[in-house]
Amino acid sequence: MNTQTQLAERNTGTVARKGDTQVQKGPAIVPAVDIYEDVHGITLWADLPGVSRDRLSVHVQDGNLLIEGEALIDTPEGLRLHHAEIREPCFARAFSLSADFDIAKIDANLSDGVLKLSIPRREEARPRRIEVSVG
Amino acid sequence: MSDLLFNTSLFDEFDRIQRQMSSLFSGLPSSIRASRLSTFSQINLGSTDDSVEIVAFAPGIDPAKLELTVDKGLLTISGERERVQPESEGRSYAQERFVGAFRRAIELPRDADPDNVKARYANGCLTISIGKRETSRPRTITIQ
Repeated sequence: MNTQTQLAERNTGTVARKGDTQVQKGPAIVPAVDIYEDVHGITLWADLPGVSRDRLSVHVQDGNLLIEGEALIDTPEGLRLHHAEIREPCFARAFSLSADFDIAKIDANLSDGVLKLSIPRREEARPRRIEVSVG
Repeated sequence: MSDLLFNTSLFDEFDRIQRQMSSLFSGLPSSIRASRLSTFSQINLGSTDDSVEIVAFAPGIDPAKLELTVDKGLLTISGERERVQPESEGRSYAQERFVGAFRRAIELPRDADPDNVKARYANGCLTISIGKRETSRPRTITIQ
């Protein structure tokens, strides 16, 4: 278990070094997702409340899709927290992508704290019907 | 904080533990075609000298479908989240995101002023600020 955690940390480290604005500290929340696949590819929705566009990063590295975001909520000065159901304002989740997806054409859209990712399948990987000729 | 105030049942507690457990393994990629779970509209609550601040984490909701009421010192946040509709026929691999109606009630402290409530929905978070009554603010008393 320990070695696995380290592996994960090393991964986020390399992401951060690539000139990212966010730095991972401590454990992050695993955002809830909906994943749907049709003939065109996969659509993924992820709940990232409080994350603005500039604090969200979507990366594909070594066949892994990494979604990382940091929630930032305006709070007045001198706020004392009494009850917190969300303690870590960081979200992170990773998925492995198989080679049949076209990672160059991933489309990402963030609206009202919900990220929608469209990951298209490669043209050649799309299901097709083969005509059988009678002869 | 008592459980009564925050509507946390034993099962919610299990959910929370499960979420914390799963977040320990968050860095590891899981296959995009197989995944996990969650609960809805988490709340954080805090206060300053002049106000009570509440944040409800409710992403993907039409602000018109959010209802906020204050009745006898009880603040209720309710709303509904609809299922996202994919454009074409296919297979679903994960449906972890909350769908349906939700309601959270928070008992406000006695010094909160129900006539002075400000609410804002941005980036999927509902931020509520409730002013405190003038008389309850901390003050220094000069000794003569």
